[in-house]
Amino acid sequence: MEARSSGQNLLRRQRNLLVFALLVSLALFSWLKIQTDRVSRTRVPGSSIIYLPSGKYLKHMTFGYSGLVADIIYLWAIQYYGTYEIADRFKYLQHIFSIVAELDPKYVDPYEVGALIAIYDAHDAELAFKILDMGLEKNPDMWIFPFQAGHIAQMNLKDFDRAREYYRKAMEIPGAPPIVKRLYANASFRTMNYQEAWEMWKEVYETSQEDWVKEIAYNHLYRVKSTVDTEALGGAVKIYRDRFGRWPADLGQLVRTGLIKEVPKDLDGKDYVYDPKTGEVKPARLWWKR
Amino acid sequence: MKITTIALNTFKEAKRDRVLYLLFFFVAVCLLFSRFLALLTVGDRVKIIKDVGLASISLFGMLMAILMGTGLVYKEIDKKTIFTLLAKPIHRAEFLLGKFLGLVLTIFIMTVLMTAVFMLILFLHTFTVEWKILLAILYIFFELCLMTAVALLFSSFTTPILASLYSLAFYLIGHLSWSMEMLIKKVKSGAGKTALRVLYTVLPDLENFNFKTEVVHNLPIPMKLLGTSFIYGVFYTAFLLLLAVLVFRRRDFV
Repeated sequence: MEARSSGQNLLRRQRNLLVFALLVSLALFSWLKIQTDRVSRTRVPGSSIIYLPSGKYLKHMTFGYSGLVADIIYLWAIQYYGTYEIADRFKYLQHIFSIVAELDPKYVDPYEVGALIAIYDAHDAELAFKILDMGLEKNPDMWIFPFQAGHIAQMNLKDFDRAREYYRKAMEIPGAPPIVKRLYANASFRTMNYQEAWEMWKEVYETSQEDWVKEIAYNHLYRVKSTVDTEALGGAVKIYRDRFGRWPADLGQLVRTGLIKEVPKDLDGKDYVYDPKTGEVKPARLWWKR
Repeated sequence: MKITTIALNTFKEAKRDRVLYLLFFFVAVCLLFSRFLALLTVGDRVKIIKDVGLASISLFGMLMAILMGTGLVYKEIDKKTIFTLLAKPIHRAEFLLGKFLGLVLTIFIMTVLMTAVFMLILFLHTFTVEWKILLAILYIFFELCLMTAVALLFSSFTTPILASLYSLAFYLIGHLSWSMEMLIKKVKSGAGKTALRVLYTVLPDLENFNFKTEVVHNLPIPMKLLGTSFIYGVFYTAFLLLLAVLVFRRRDFV
């Protein structure tokens, strides 16, 4: 009985010793973990990028999980482009996003985010266009890509020709919102395609169900007409001055001398304002203040 | 003495399991994969050979530690040989420690052989011997020792398949636990943050043994980091072994 009791005591002592050693080792490695974290390590951020093969090859290596791999690469790319220590991180921007495009061509977010990174972080509009063009190529039914490209061309580059072309593409895709037509009309006006701008704003005016859109369209129609008219009148005034050596006294003189057939009126039926001292012709009101 | 005998027997058992065949796979992977990747890349192909070589040593070692470690105890129980062993004056702790050291010896020999092959391949590409590589391999070996203890811990109370899964999970957690630091920074102060911090401290950090990037890019490695990482490995391994002993001594084999 006594031997059994001393054996149990021994076992208990051993167990207690083990538990004590366990707790000591736990405390020690936890303390060491904290110490190790305090030592700063030199890293090469983004060095693994060279291992990303082209999407076409990678797709075969995903064993049917291409969507999941696309998600992972996309999530990783967001982190990667948030790492400002990697000075040349934009070098592989197209490569990375083309991989995602190959793996999951219908995944819309990466094209949009890739283009945003390209334009606002890398300040590389051409790169943004490439990514968005890729998005459109893979998703011909998505108006958002040419729309975003048009917006970049218009707002960042002030390249209205390019913007117009992108808006035209977006407009032709079923499901594009009405604003695309308005932006296309505006870009047409800015590129001096007045006839097209007029027709497009007219269409917007006639087809829109909302009063505020009609009002916008009417204002733009007013602008297109007044621009065309004032340019024509201004040209005639110049010819008059070249011929007679002075500015005409009023716009009626242009009709009387046969330079124009009649003096046009603005869209509201009002006369254009003419200054005989300077020869300047302008609309009665500012188009956007009507 | 008893521990040494068990350790040597474990090593012999590993040899009988044709574990050395893994070496051929390693050579094949090292040669073919590094050659293939070097062809695909633009620029520094030696870097890729180094990366592939070091990753292969780490990966093959990890597979060895997990696959063999998780079956160590289970096999003895399954074949009933544990009864013969424990009938002798051997403590269960000695049995476990012997098994652990036997597998560590096996992994050590395999690591040495893999290193020799890798260094040879590297030498054929660069015609220089880069001794610094050995430092990264040494820490890979420390990591493998820890992984062996993990496998042994799980092997002491569950089946090899489950133990392999748990060990693999431990390995993944160990290499991803650093990301918890980012989470801790984003969580507001309070009980949640404290709990996360405790979890972060207790969870394994196998990145402490990862010096591959530093070695490949020839970056400076602080001596303090080498020291603390090594001692961290020793204490974590000790902790796991003690836990395994505590679990194993309560185990009923009938």
